[in-house]
Amino acid sequence: MDAASRPAVVIDNGTGYTKMGFAGNVEPCFITPTVVAVNDTFAGQTRANTTKGNWMAQHSAGVMADLDFFIGEDALACSRSSNTYSLSYPIHNGQVENWDTMERFWQQCIFNYLRCDPEDHYFLLTESPLTPPETREYTGEIMFETFNVPGLYIACQPVLALAAGYTTTKCEMTGVVVDVGDGATHIVPVADGYVIGSSIRSIPITGKDVTQFIQQLSKMSLILHYCGSMPLGVQMSIITAQGNQRFLKITATNNEREKMHETEERGEHIPPEESFDVARRVKEMYCYTCSDIVKEFNKHDREPNKYIKHWSGIKPKTGAKYTCDIGYERFLGPEIFFHPEIYNNDFTTPLHVVIDKCIQSSPIDTRRALYKNIVLSGGSTMFKDFHRRLQRDLKKIVDARVLASNARLGGDAKAQPIEVNVVSHPIQRYAVWFGGSVLASTAEFYEACHTKAEYEEYGASICRTNPVFKGMY
Amino acid sequence: MILLQSPSRFLLQILQDRVLSGDKGVDIDCHTVEFDDVRYHIQFSMRNPKVMVLSVALPLPPPEAMLYDGLPLGAIEAIKAAYGPVVQILDPPKDGFDLTMKINLTKLPPDEEQRNSVLTQIASVREVVLGAPLKLLLKHLASKTVAPNVDKLVALVHRPNESFFVAPQADKVTVVYPMRFQDSIDIVLATSFLQEFVEARRTSALNNAPSCLWSPVPPLELKGVPSDALNANAVVFPRHVEGKKLDKTVWSLLTFHAYVSYHVKCSEGFMHTRMRRRVETLIQALDRAKSDAEKLKKLVNGGSFKRLSLKNDGN
Repeated sequence: MDAASRPAVVIDNGTGYTKMGFAGNVEPCFITPTVVAVNDTFAGQTRANTTKGNWMAQHSAGVMADLDFFIGEDALACSRSSNTYSLSYPIHNGQVENWDTMERFWQQCIFNYLRCDPEDHYFLLTESPLTPPETREYTGEIMFETFNVPGLYIACQPVLALAAGYTTTKCEMTGVVVDVGDGATHIVPVADGYVIGSSIRSIPITGKDVTQFIQQLSKMSLILHYCGSMPLGVQMSIITAQGNQRFLKITATNNEREKMHETEERGEHIPPEESFDVARRVKEMYCYTCSDIVKEFNKHDREPNKYIKHWSGIKPKTGAKYTCDIGYERFLGPEIFFHPEIYNNDFTTPLHVVIDKCIQSSPIDTRRALYKNIVLSGGSTMFKDFHRRLQRDLKKIVDARVLASNARLGGDAKAQPIEVNVVSHPIQRYAVWFGGSVLASTAEFYEACHTKAEYEEYGASICRTNPVFKGMY
Repeated sequence: MILLQSPSRFLLQILQDRVLSGDKGVDIDCHTVEFDDVRYHIQFSMRNPKVMVLSVALPLPPPEAMLYDGLPLGAIEAIKAAYGPVVQILDPPKDGFDLTMKINLTKLPPDEEQRNSVLTQIASVREVVLGAPLKLLLKHLASKTVAPNVDKLVALVHRPNESFFVAPQADKVTVVYPMRFQDSIDIVLATSFLQEFVEARRTSALNNAPSCLWSPVPPLELKGVPSDALNANAVVFPRHVEGKKLDKTVWSLLTFHAYVSYHVKCSEGFMHTRMRRRVETLIQALDRAKSDAEKLKKLVNGGSFKRLSLKNDGN
């Protein structure tokens, strides 16, 4: 049986989670955290202890320690229960940082999770749009040298996310992909399947920042007691740190009045070593996007029983139970995409403004099509109503611009209204993987792959370029 | 970690999710492939959320392996014995598959521990089906008899178009694996790996392990079978198949080839790690050896502000 007649293996390595499975399926077989627990008790010792005589024993212990590792949920579990393992996250901000652990991670993905023989299958891996060519070469080298794969295709994540919207009725390969992952947020315009490289934007606010923000909200003992009688012109809430204290500053625009809300000790007893994990799960389970932050504060204050959720867990060290309330962080978490200033003072451009700038910098003949098809992908776009909020805010900017241009031209020529459409899929979380699955189940895929024979003829440089960047723009 | 697990992780995950998820059900229809071309097709329908239809395709058998209705000898009996009322075999199997089973999750035992062990059993359907004939032979070995009407040499399928050979005797069973590797590096690594197996057997701690040997020529038992591969063989004695050891032995023997190729890949990855570390230390040494002038030159080429300095006009 030929390798091309078996389904290809599709692995989408994200900063937070890795999605893996076989082409032709709707869902990935496994979604597991991209983390490796390494036994590093012997790291760096093998050389230092050469004088001590039992070199051989030391050496083989080091070798055994090198083979002793876990990935995914198992890694998290075993690092919690034992001290000999340390967690290593091979991917940072969408880029592979640690190739050793990455190679081990792939090895376990292939042999222990998917349980397939890499020599039998073609492989489709993904990369972020800003990956340097060297990384691609390195990936190719590992796949061909270590795993002997018959063929490899390294696909660009946003193109796959667009391909995920591929249906039989329409095949739209033009659009803006808003990819908000755990470690990287990219806004990538794609025209006819080619990435417009010069217009890619990335912003430093990612899923991990949402988690950190939620963690801060609960850990820094910040209480967001909103006083009920705020004027309706309130637009912004800024959290400023002053020494050890944190304040929620709410600026009312109508009379330039500032209200400072004193922080109060909030009696949440989340153990510090768990707090990031708890924040992550709170984010995944309870967070949503609100349409108006002030109204949402009001709603929470009027009916706290309806909106405030409770989290209960067990402290890993003492085994004691603890509970905590989840209040405003439910909608404040996702809000950092639309009001980054509440989280970060260095970057204050909201997501929808960045998207607008990105489209405005694209070639003029693609802009209408780009506005029409804004595709969300990545786990951190899964918040309820995220696409509605984004569409509304973006529409506001676009409409204002159309109005301004109409006013400037003074009625001689009227601009056609621009259609703004933010598309949301039910499969957003693994849209990239699904796109890969669709792509890898077509017959053309096998022709586009780099094959083992090519690799042996030319070397890793065959992986250096990605054809989707060679478009007309 | 080091051994391949018998239950398929994916099957087990789907089964456990379904048992725990309560009554709400979604359609699931997916295909997966495992090593050695064992394919699964998993189906859940909305109407019967607690009934899973699992189809299994086995590797393409080579001509010398004997199959009965597309399944290895004793497979049907083994399935019935292993799963009892939970599983119903559908006949004929789905198109393109060798075995289709209907698994009724409502008939699982209520006790959690028992339920999990049944689910694990279902997830290791591969072992039950492919290992059935081997298990039969080893059971006879445990009682120190030879099964009636068994040839001197039995060929059992374990990979597409490849089989391994079992020579049963009353007091021992010899298992021979012809192994073919495509890549020249793989052949070298596999050879040294097998050699390591033989050496490790000689240490005192492993005195009771099955003795194993390898050679590039087929052993005497394989006379008359064309062979162009490395041949590894292991001799299994009754002490290896007593009681609970039987299942483990069956699985280890069944997946020996996969085990070796897995470790060949692992060692390649391991060597790469070492090579990478070595290169890093060498680069560090080179960096240290660079003179200050060279470092400065790099800065100048890199367009740093040093270029503007009046004192460095020599560069």
